[in-house]
Amino acid sequence: MHDLDGPGGPVDDGAACQLAALMTGYQAGSLPAFESLYAALASPLLAYLAALCRDRGQAQDLLQETFLQIHRSRRAYRPELPVRPWVFTIARHVWLMDRRYRNRRPRSEGELPDVPVPAEVESLADRDRLRRALDDVLPDRREALLLHHVWGFSFAEIAQMLGIRADAAKLRSSRGMADLRRLLVEGNRG
Amino acid sequence: MADERIEIPVELRAFVARDLRPVKPLAPPLRRALGLVPVAIGLLFAAVVIFGMRRDATRIGLALTWGASTLQIVLGLALVVAALREAVPGTTLPRRVVGAALGTVIVAVLTITILTWTTSPTEIAPGFVAWVWGVCLTGTIVSALPALALAGWLAARAFPLRPRLTGALYGVGAGLMADAGWRLFCHFSHPAHVFGAHTLGIAATGALGVVLANWLVRSGE
Repeated sequence: MHDLDGPGGPVDDGAACQLAALMTGYQAGSLPAFESLYAALASPLLAYLAALCRDRGQAQDLLQETFLQIHRSRRAYRPELPVRPWVFTIARHVWLMDRRYRNRRPRSEGELPDVPVPAEVESLADRDRLRRALDDVLPDRREALLLHHVWGFSFAEIAQMLGIRADAAKLRSSRGMADLRRLLVEGNRG
Repeated sequence: MADERIEIPVELRAFVARDLRPVKPLAPPLRRALGLVPVAIGLLFAAVVIFGMRRDATRIGLALTWGASTLQIVLGLALVVAALREAVPGTTLPRRVVGAALGTVIVAVLTITILTWTTSPTEIAPGFVAWVWGVCLTGTIVSALPALALAGWLAARAFPLRPRLTGALYGVGAGLMADAGWRLFCHFSHPAHVFGAHTLGIAATGALGVVLANWLVRSGE
């Protein structure tokens, strides 16, 4: 898997505690804590935003807006909650707000962003074809698929981020994976 | 992609550095909602203390007067807790939970109304229907305003990403709490009056909650 071992992949309990400690430090007014949080979260957030908006440049703008919103709402973070679902939910909100006010530009085939790809399908095609197939998966399913398989969120966490039930999150992810496999197999036959 | 290190833009770092005052993390929703308990108790007793108890109180009994109103207060507070939880990113409520919460409220209001009507059917005298309707509708909405304002302030201190849903939840909660007291004063149990004035007042407070939550989010931007 491309991103699993990096900061964007699933985090173990130690890393989650470290993020929570950084967030607490940030709430207490520590600039180094904010810088460390940025270093840990900017890359996976950028990948997530790129996967949502399908435009790398726009995703970079949204990333800065996301950190501004995180800064504004840092009081709302409670230390007993995991940090990543909190920041990913804010990023998703920033994207939704941006989408509401923006006239979506038609995107060309060549502008697909470098979004991460689940390891389970990496062997089925080259990276460019994988990304194009991923682009054809329904957005709801693609989002759940990436959140689970690439960024390692549990279905319970995804459910809380998207406002759906955990079994619905699991269903979206598994259907997304099935769609992706089907698209790749059909592409191989063609 | 994840391995690349993204530098903090100079403007963002400067902005955060300038604005980096310590903040106190919010308490859990249940503890924050406790701030509304004194208001809820006040709402439960206010109409009875000011205007007196409904005339058929003895006939309908303790369970359908104070018992039913206490149930409404608890349901109202539960909706405010749900709204405060919804207002924290990453703890968004699933649609099924929201539906179940609002469904419970509807079932509770229906049951209380029908039981009260079957136990003590009282109707408004012809010629006074519109006046009583206006008093109960306005009374429910106006008495809900303190709870609505406090719940709105508590929710806005978090970061509601779905302000309309958050506002609807705490708005209906505030309306339920207000009607819990108002129904102890109102002498009329006819379902047309209860649904047309009291329940409409709860719904109107929910709509006010939506407006308030949206306004609070926009004014904070």
